[in-house]
Amino acid sequence: MNGTRTNTDTGPLLLRVLFRPKETFEDLSRAEPSPYRIFFKYLVWFALLPPMFAYIGGSRYGWDLGAANPLILAEIQLRIVSMLYFFVLLTAFVSTAFASQWMSETYGARKSLGVHMAMVTILAVPMTVGSVVHLYPHVFINLLVFIPVLIWAMYLLYVGLPVALNIEPEKGMLMASSLVGWLLVGFVTLLGVTVALWTEGLGPSIGA
Amino acid sequence: MSENQQIIANEYYHDGVVRFLVVCSMLWAVLGMGAGVYVAAELIWPEIDFGQFWLSFGRLRPLHTNAIIFGFGVSALMATAFYSVQRTCHVPLPTLRLAWVTAMLWQICVLSGGLSLLAGMNSGKEYAELEWPFDIAIAIVWISFGVVFFSTIACRRIKPIYISNWFYGGLIIVIAMLHVVNSLVMPATLLKSYPVYAGAQDAIVQWWYGHNAVGFLLTGGFLGMLYYFLPKQADRPIWSYKLSVVAFWSFTYAYIWAGPHHLHYNSIPDWVQNLGMVMSLILLAPSWATMINGIMTVSSASEKLRTDPALKFIVLSLAFYGLATFEGPMMAIKSVNAVSHFTDWTIGHVHSGALGWNALIVFGTFYYLVPRLVDAKLYSVRLANIHFWLALAGTMLYVLSMWGAGVSQGLLWLSLDEFGEPSFSFKDIMASMPPYYMLRLLGGFTFFLGTLLMIFNLVMTMKGRPTVRVRPPKITATGEAQ
Repeated sequence: MNGTRTNTDTGPLLLRVLFRPKETFEDLSRAEPSPYRIFFKYLVWFALLPPMFAYIGGSRYGWDLGAANPLILAEIQLRIVSMLYFFVLLTAFVSTAFASQWMSETYGARKSLGVHMAMVTILAVPMTVGSVVHLYPHVFINLLVFIPVLIWAMYLLYVGLPVALNIEPEKGMLMASSLVGWLLVGFVTLLGVTVALWTEGLGPSIGA
Repeated sequence: MSENQQIIANEYYHDGVVRFLVVCSMLWAVLGMGAGVYVAAELIWPEIDFGQFWLSFGRLRPLHTNAIIFGFGVSALMATAFYSVQRTCHVPLPTLRLAWVTAMLWQICVLSGGLSLLAGMNSGKEYAELEWPFDIAIAIVWISFGVVFFSTIACRRIKPIYISNWFYGGLIIVIAMLHVVNSLVMPATLLKSYPVYAGAQDAIVQWWYGHNAVGFLLTGGFLGMLYYFLPKQADRPIWSYKLSVVAFWSFTYAYIWAGPHHLHYNSIPDWVQNLGMVMSLILLAPSWATMINGIMTVSSASEKLRTDPALKFIVLSLAFYGLATFEGPMMAIKSVNAVSHFTDWTIGHVHSGALGWNALIVFGTFYYLVPRLVDAKLYSVRLANIHFWLALAGTMLYVLSMWGAGVSQGLLWLSLDEFGEPSFSFKDIMASMPPYYMLRLLGGFTFFLGTLLMIFNLVMTMKGRPTVRVRPPKITATGEAQ
């Protein structure tokens, strides 16, 4: 890869993030990508893959929570849950890009939305790749795969953020920690909202 | 005796007692976390109690919580309260002998109390398991802690009372009140007693105590630590002093009402449950005000992160403080609680607070405090950095495994079959848990390993070095410290 290419190249971003993460961030530090381009070219598709895998796994094998038989959801319920999964992921990606742009003021980082959108896209790569495990829908196995996936994404965040946003590593460390805080709170909110809706009778029926 | 004479008589800050309490806190960390790892293993392999009652889960678990909260936590709180109150009041402890008596008697209380738990003496009240003779001893020692602390404030040489002292003061007063009210019992024998409250009232009093022990000891007390040591480490004043004062009063007002969320869907009045839920939600505001104040204080001092391993622990502890104080109110919502209550989700929540917030802020504080107590550099910055990653990995593994286990448990035992009977038996659900428990054990062990590294690092830093003697700053005629 030479310096004249930018992150908006049509080259397989997935592979570049996998094998040359630092170069991907360095490319981004020099580029001014358009947020719309990043969104439609990469982010939508990255958000689409996990629900697709979950749908295929869920319909073929059913979700195994560890006790008794796997839970086979009705076709229509599975479709609704998968679509909600897609929209939640998309909302999470976009809102994180906006949160990151908002935080950039405090830490003196680059402000253009496209850069933040591109950074979130790169961070989404491990999750998109890891979500292949949804094809085998066993809760514990999924948890086991997603722990290294999360560590990988956090590594990318801490290493890549200061490079992509042109700030000192120490400020980058603080901003990355703030973003981790944002994501953790987001995840817990999602967990709470899902559980609350389910106990209020708005979720799928998982009885035998 | 005039003020000047007093200063001459007690020329130096008394840091010997601080050092003693720091060492005790580290010893309790080994015992408490070691017991935690052991009981986590017992949940996978119950036979490792080897048929000994004192090694059974039922006896080791309260030892784990008591050693951590009252041994590790309170010793660290006493140490940092004694250290910071002298410096924020510009006066040495006026009651040094009582400070030593308090520090030593506290250790004896926790040690003998811990042994009584292993022997099977237990009042059955969570986080207040010790029987009445210990309760009386604890009340006396706690009051003497208050005398040492408030007498220092009374002798202060500068007029304002710094915010950390408000939090430490709140800790001392509220815990005394909670402990005395919750421990009112009718003794039957020397080692057995029964509460003066009956039925639902007893439950309400117990969780008024239980939740506010979390609130004023594990949150308020440690916020005192944060408000003194964070600006010290960052070498910056707190971002907004006004916000810290507002946060203190709103925190104190809101917390005291939140206890009933531990009793959702129980035999207490519905309106009490709802009140507990609403006050828990309101509590988010002061909690996050402090978090924002902390983060903004560090943000302006990011260059310190390059050289100071301790500051990293405090930054991370703030992130987990934010998570735990958000997750708590959320779990207090009744429809979330319907799933989360009586599952491992609660255990995960408690540990995101205990490991991620309490332990990390103590670690960060000790890495700052110990080298200064002996006027030396930290033995190994590299070991401290390794400790940081072990602590983060351990906490994350713990929390993630308990989220997985807890949500699965909640969903499984609420699902009903076509006859309205539970679809899955309790036994089947628990039989599917060992993989999660293995992951939790790994997380706990990783965290424990990091703690051992810190203790080695700090012991090597202190080894063979006397405690420093620091003079209070002289106050000029204009009131400025020199």
